[in-house]
Amino acid sequence: MMRKLLLGLVFSTAATSAVIAAPVTLQVWALDEPVHFTENMAKEFEAKNPDIKLDIKLVNFANILNDTIRAVSTNTAPDLLMLDNPDIASVASHDVLLDLSDRIAASKVVDAKNFYPGPINQSTWKGKIYGFPRGGNTLGLYYNADLFKAAGLDPTKPPQTWDEISAAAAKLTDAKKRQYGFGFSAVATEESTFQFLPWAQSAGGDFNAINTDGSVRALQFWQKLVDDKVATPEVLVLNQPDLGSQFVAGNIGMIVTGCWELPRFAKEVKFDWRVALMPIEKAGAPRASALGELAYAVPKTSAHPDEAFKFLEYIYSQSSRDWNEYGWLPLDQTATPKDPKWPEAYSVFAEQMKYARGRGPSPVWPKVSKAIQTAIQDTLTHKTDAKTALDTAQATIDGLIK
Amino acid sequence: MLQSGFAKYLRDGKGFEGTLIVAAVLYLLVFAAFPLIYTVVMSFQEVDMFTLGTLVRPFAGLQNYTDLFHRPEFAPIVWNTVIFVTLSIAFQLTIGFALALFFLQDFPGSTYVRGLFLAGWILPALVVGAVWRWIFAGDFGVLNYALQSLGLIDGQIYWLSDPAYALYSVIIANIWLGIPFNMILLSVGLAGIPGDVYEAAEMDGANVFQRFLTITLPMMGPTLGAVIALGVIFTLQQFDLVAALTQGGPANASNVAQYWSWQMSFQTYEISGGATVATMMIALVIVVAVIYVRSVQREQSF
Repeated sequence: MMRKLLLGLVFSTAATSAVIAAPVTLQVWALDEPVHFTENMAKEFEAKNPDIKLDIKLVNFANILNDTIRAVSTNTAPDLLMLDNPDIASVASHDVLLDLSDRIAASKVVDAKNFYPGPINQSTWKGKIYGFPRGGNTLGLYYNADLFKAAGLDPTKPPQTWDEISAAAAKLTDAKKRQYGFGFSAVATEESTFQFLPWAQSAGGDFNAINTDGSVRALQFWQKLVDDKVATPEVLVLNQPDLGSQFVAGNIGMIVTGCWELPRFAKEVKFDWRVALMPIEKAGAPRASALGELAYAVPKTSAHPDEAFKFLEYIYSQSSRDWNEYGWLPLDQTATPKDPKWPEAYSVFAEQMKYARGRGPSPVWPKVSKAIQTAIQDTLTHKTDAKTALDTAQATIDGLIK
Repeated sequence: MLQSGFAKYLRDGKGFEGTLIVAAVLYLLVFAAFPLIYTVVMSFQEVDMFTLGTLVRPFAGLQNYTDLFHRPEFAPIVWNTVIFVTLSIAFQLTIGFALALFFLQDFPGSTYVRGLFLAGWILPALVVGAVWRWIFAGDFGVLNYALQSLGLIDGQIYWLSDPAYALYSVIIANIWLGIPFNMILLSVGLAGIPGDVYEAAEMDGANVFQRFLTITLPMMGPTLGAVIALGVIFTLQQFDLVAALTQGGPANASNVAQYWSWQMSFQTYEISGGATVATMMIALVIVVAVIYVRSVQREQSF
């Protein structure tokens, strides 16, 4: 009897220690197309940490917030997931994400001093960091140097103020060839808010000061570009990839779009193209640009937050590979690539990233953004004027963020 | 003994019929009734994006409905939806009917060509939307090029980005998409009219128009009713084309109720607002469905 009991005891201890030694499996939801960033990082990380396995489920961009909401409200959230950066505040405000501030402060790998300000602010809600940006992307001015030369413009001096943009756009426009001087995206989705805010910010506005004189001037500027036919009315339905295609086809002389287009343009563009900083209202005005990119977040329900954070530290430690291998700027300003691809574009975007400002943060960002999109579309279609449209947007936004 | 008795009961007679009914009803309850009731319930509640997993939420009374009626975009979107449904069905039906009559004429290859027409209907609406997006493109679109080559227009028409045209562009694409379906259903109806009726009328000296007005139309009544009812239901479901072509823009010029409901539910997370629009559409569809069921019953009584 006694022997049996002892034997049982031995067995059960053996079983417990076996459980402790067994590898931890992290459930990860990754948005990985087209670069397979999370999957590659996971393979490298697993090789270095045999006691941690990552079980990766791929999600797509359109569903990521819906999937997260569903998982959180049914208690089936993974250990690590990804969100588009303006959505961090929405999810964090419901108290379902783990506060990463202490772990970041205590980390030997991550150094908060070196973060670009934009991405980390965008992942912060009420002073606590809930998202860990995998990097950042931002907008810049792409221009067709061949068209510049043909129009008698100096391609080494790209336009840098709004007036210069109008003047250059007028010269680059050729109505007969249906060639336009300038292009941006004012489509009725998040993309137009993303594109418009830097213009408003450079003139002193922002999402919560959207009816200031500066914001109104910015929207009037957009409206005038379309009214003067130096930008196509199709900006109302062109999303950023469509806009990029028009640039590749040589139909638009200058466009505003993100650094994510560099690999495509390098492959497809048949003319001499260059990149410049986003234009500002007038000399001396503050610089501004948009900020995109995904961020990782750890749901509060995760049983393995330490292992999840260890994986994030690994990703952070590899930051200097981001630009060349994956096409975005790292969270860590000091992680410069040794031999950057497209060196001129790299220096423009690395500089531009310092001025990249997030959207919000606001827990009701989609509604705030919708109010801005409505104002943009109402103004460009002359349903109403810029001032009235932005006053309406401001009233809506005031009601939302109170 | 008992078991084999029960098995026998299930295999033939009342038990078998009962099983079939229970299976069908269960399926309907889980996959149709539950989501439907869930949507209606949400339209009377305050729904937050993280309370989706529960049915117990603050009761909002008719607040969601009054909020919706007071939105500035409510009236234009309802009006757009009316235009969208009316024009889509009117043209789908007339063109579909004309084609069905055309293919009824016995010419070589008529059945094959009629079959080919279905190709358009098989295409997913998102693909159709992408194709029409190229056709309608303002600066380099095929349609503008064709119209200019024919000398019909001078400048560009911005089919998708001009608020005066956007809704009608979506309607044109939707008409194109719906014609084959209308044509096939109506062809089936036409095939059901006995040929000797026409022969008798012809002998009595009725010309082709008289035959159409006094034989074809009345005998097609129930089929037409069914096709119109199905058309209303399908048109009210037409979400993908709007998504692919205009996303309801510019400035809501081409926004329709079904797309608006989705925008509220999944873009701005005003889930009760989206559910409220959906509930009103359900009410409308139920009315149409009743008409449909009744016209099918009349059809069977022939």
